[in-house]
Amino acid sequence: MGDIASALSMIFIPANLLGLVFGVAVGIAFGCMPGLSVNMGLALLFPLAFSFDGVGGILMLLGIYCGAIYGGSISAILLKTPGTPASVATTLDGYPMAAKMKQPGRALGLSTMASTFGGIFSTVCLILLAPQLAKLALQFSKPEYFALAIFGLSIITSVSSGSVIKGIMGGLIGLFLATVGIDDMSGTIRFTLDTTYLLGGVSFIPILIGVFAFAQVLGSIEEYYHNERSEQHMTIDKVLPSMADIKRVFATLIRSSCIGTFIGCVPGTGGDIASFVSYDQAKRWSKHKENFGNGEPEGIVASESGNNAVSGGAFIPVLTLGIPGDGATAIMMGALMVQGLQPGPLLFIEKAPDVYAIFIGLLLANIIMGILGFSLIKLFVKVVNVPIHILLPIIIMMTFVGTYSYNNSINDVYLMVASGFIGYFLNKLGFSMSAIIIGIILGSMAEQNFVGSLIMSDGSFSIFYTRPLCLFFLIIALLSLLSPFIGSVIRRMQRKNM
Amino acid sequence: MKNMAVCNYIISLLGLLISACIMNAASEFPLEFSVNGPGPGFWPFSLGAALGVAAVILFVYTFLHKEDLSQTRVALTLPANRRVYLMMGVITIYCVLINLLGFYPASAVLIPIVMYFMDYHDKKVIALTTVCTIIFIYLVFGELLHTQMPQSIFLE
Repeated sequence: MGDIASALSMIFIPANLLGLVFGVAVGIAFGCMPGLSVNMGLALLFPLAFSFDGVGGILMLLGIYCGAIYGGSISAILLKTPGTPASVATTLDGYPMAAKMKQPGRALGLSTMASTFGGIFSTVCLILLAPQLAKLALQFSKPEYFALAIFGLSIITSVSSGSVIKGIMGGLIGLFLATVGIDDMSGTIRFTLDTTYLLGGVSFIPILIGVFAFAQVLGSIEEYYHNERSEQHMTIDKVLPSMADIKRVFATLIRSSCIGTFIGCVPGTGGDIASFVSYDQAKRWSKHKENFGNGEPEGIVASESGNNAVSGGAFIPVLTLGIPGDGATAIMMGALMVQGLQPGPLLFIEKAPDVYAIFIGLLLANIIMGILGFSLIKLFVKVVNVPIHILLPIIIMMTFVGTYSYNNSINDVYLMVASGFIGYFLNKLGFSMSAIIIGIILGSMAEQNFVGSLIMSDGSFSIFYTRPLCLFFLIIALLSLLSPFIGSVIRRMQRKNM
Repeated sequence: MKNMAVCNYIISLLGLLISACIMNAASEFPLEFSVNGPGPGFWPFSLGAALGVAAVILFVYTFLHKEDLSQTRVALTLPANRRVYLMMGVITIYCVLINLLGFYPASAVLIPIVMYFMDYHDKKVIALTTVCTIIFIYLVFGELLHTQMPQSIFLE
């Protein structure tokens, strides 16, 4: 109880609460503007988070994370252009309800209710499950942590949408970048090119902003060369869902929230998978199957509660095991580490009030998201129409200001620009930016526990396959790494048999 | 327009080159095992080797699937790409200007240029966007967060 009281005292500081509300609002704005993404919002405001005391910055980032997932549904419903990949399934019924049935307010209201419910449901699951998993993880030693880091790295195959091999190459480059600077185990200075700038290692934040925000801006400049963004001019009527709609979608709401939370727990998945699986299941169980694709309320609710429920689920492996499930949670994990909160089971013992602050913060973020969604939806609808030629120069400026303000270092700015230029080409060539970031974040954990394990075993590699838990995680990591190749072989065999 | 097969061959060769550089740099540190575990060069050397293996796998994969991959086009020389390269040039000059003129004057030059290159020519909106953005940055970062933005070298 003392930890919860401490957590509440951390959160209910005006500046922190304001940061949380600001984060949710900015997140919704980022989510609803096509061309911007959750990762971009998190990366851009990452440096600003450290101007808050204590967990205030983390709360702001939590707000952005939740808000952006929800915000994607606004443009999905009004423009048929999902703001984030997680909202693609929402377009299937959201847009027909808004455009054909002329009920944009009803569609937005259902999506707001479902997003809020999904987020709160998954946060409650996080609060109940994470401490239990952390207790189990307390038995882990260095070999298990090394195996966990390898498992975390193996999800690169899932987040690499272009090419798995290129994803692995990106992850290896990220792991190498994490070795730059003073080696924590031996104290040796490595790969610093005789500069003092690299002594503390390659700065994570400029690379983060470069690859997730700046490179994406360059991509948007290319994307909008010919295509002007479509605008919406719908009048938003009543947004609060009716009792009849709530009754109709209630079972779907619960089912999709469970699916989203479960999928969120599995590293390498994400909101897009959760929303499609939830949508598919809703259609399978619905009494109005024929109405799906024509503005069915259950379709909107399934997709939105599914993708928002991922938020709480995704934090379970991050907080208990230190494994980020995707780019956004990798950024969140980076933020925790920069704040001195090393994710893992020990976090629940050493920094219990901070963990509870994160739990309560996530819960509050979802509640605030619902309140802002219902009360300010007309404002957010206007944000969807902000012209891209005004938006992009502002974001370019924010990448520079954000990078510089973190360390007051112009070298960080140069690193960010270089990362952005390289990131633009890597994106075009099918590399995954998330893979590089996951490599950087897990690099130190992997190396330290690898070396530590070998010290424990006097240099014998048998320590990695004689300990059951370590072997278990390594086998899962191997399966995860090979799953795309196994999948393609199975598909080829099935095609031959047909 | 290039096709993905050609790009993959180039990436493989670059990957091999980077791998060789990493292994060479790592071999300058002790690689042997001692009571303190593997030397500080062991881990990065292994990463370099793994990168080399991945580059070879990419090369072989591309060779085996060259017909499929040749169908995938990678746009690098279209007018839209040229606009991006132009923007990269502008940003590079902006990085120099930040040092020469200071952050705020350089930004007052950058924002209109970016908007102009994005085919937007409404002078009022350009001026308004520039002024509002700079004032916002000054108020939030300069005044509220006390960030000292880079100043002109002539003022230092």
